[in-house]
Amino acid sequence: MTMTCDRVRELASGYVLGALDTEEMLDVADHLDSCRLGHPEVDEFGGVLPYLAASLEPVEPPTWLRESVIAAAEADLVARRRVGKPSERRFVEPAAIPTAIQSASAIGAAASAGQVVSLAMVRASRRRRMMTWTMRVAAAVAILVLTGTGIIVQGNLAKALKAQQEDTSLNYALTQNDTRTAVMSAIGGSKAGGIAALLPTGHVILKLYGLTPTKNDQVYTVWLTTDKGGPTKVGSFTVDDSGIGYLEVDNVPTSPSLLLYVSRESNDKVTQPTGPIIISGVVSL
Amino acid sequence: MRQVAVGEIGGLETLYDRYHTMAYALALRITSETGLAEDVVQDSFLGVWRNAGRYAETKGSVRGWLLAIVRHRAIDAMRRQRAGVALGDEVDETLPAVLTLPDIWPEVAGRLDAEQVRRALTALPPAQREVIELAYFDGLTQREIADRTRAPLGTVKSRMRLGLVSMRQQLARENDGAIAVSASSNGKKGVGLT
Repeated sequence: MTMTCDRVRELASGYVLGALDTEEMLDVADHLDSCRLGHPEVDEFGGVLPYLAASLEPVEPPTWLRESVIAAAEADLVARRRVGKPSERRFVEPAAIPTAIQSASAIGAAASAGQVVSLAMVRASRRRRMMTWTMRVAAAVAILVLTGTGIIVQGNLAKALKAQQEDTSLNYALTQNDTRTAVMSAIGGSKAGGIAALLPTGHVILKLYGLTPTKNDQVYTVWLTTDKGGPTKVGSFTVDDSGIGYLEVDNVPTSPSLLLYVSRESNDKVTQPTGPIIISGVVSL
Repeated sequence: MRQVAVGEIGGLETLYDRYHTMAYALALRITSETGLAEDVVQDSFLGVWRNAGRYAETKGSVRGWLLAIVRHRAIDAMRRQRAGVALGDEVDETLPAVLTLPDIWPEVAGRLDAEQVRRALTALPPAQREVIELAYFDGLTQREIADRTRAPLGTVKSRMRLGLVSMRQQLARENDGAIAVSASSNGKKGVGLT
């Protein structure tokens, strides 16, 4: 339908509130794009909208949200510097990570990315005390107790067996001399915790507890930032009512400094962290 | 905002510190769910971060732009939830034109506090306030509002238009009448108050 100026004036209030039918919204937008007379009424009605939001009592969000927003922006910045611009971002399969790292290095973006990585790591490390073997053992024991007990209580034999296999793998990794570990600490108000083990072969095992169960296509996605940049997608997992998350992946890149973090995403197709960062850990020797 | 546009994290931190309570209040009002509101706020600030280069200073305030993004994302999240579709991971690379309308009273923004704005809103006739709130906070179309309120569509349209005009009048009154309401100061055709 062809819009006249009179018709647009009539629809202006509904247009600024986005309350017209789709066709009308498009017709008004088309008219405004091409109308030489201008429609100040649209601007004047639209100018009221921010005040509707301002009428609400301010509400303080959880304190971790700020850190989550900034971490996501930092991750985005690193990715932007690696690939040039957002539209050039691409998904990196775990198996292809070493090649991708080389490519990133070849375009000479790693140095600038490294500064951001360091900043993120410094911030993360400020929140954590020095990792010790005592903490490492304590974290592993905590996971075995917290995850094992919950599953046994649920009386689900298959789950218990799966958990046992996971714990055996984690225990094995933790007892190897060259294994590097990260105690995963919740960001903000989350009650999540966990541990990650990184073998020199690039094999990573991550076990977390206290996570909110995933719904629909939701997943938890693990990201890794190395000295050469990031974030690199390590893998994704879902979480059931037990609140336990487990991921085991091969061919993960290693470097002297590593930051692992986990975001909650709406699906497993994301190539950059977009959801809230739930938990993170600095990989140490 | 210029800092954000050139990728300075400090700029985003400043922006967040200044507007996070208002953004979260709006997201929470629309979604009524803390988890979803948190996701919306994070998505919105990330959207601002990624699209700051496209922000046109002359086209309105940062606050208005941010709140438009929050509202858009929150309503989108609610519609997806109602339809059983997960919240999309995509961040709006472009915003509908209607979301980039100018904040025409930047001078008022600095003067009116939340209480004065609330007073302006509550001074509206209840029927007008209802249709505006259903459209702005619940994302309903005029047709849906007509169904919800069992009012004729024409009545809903009239209430919406009169409500916005009245709201503007009330805001101007709260601002000691500093703003001329009946017409734009540059001589363009105004909204009209009758």
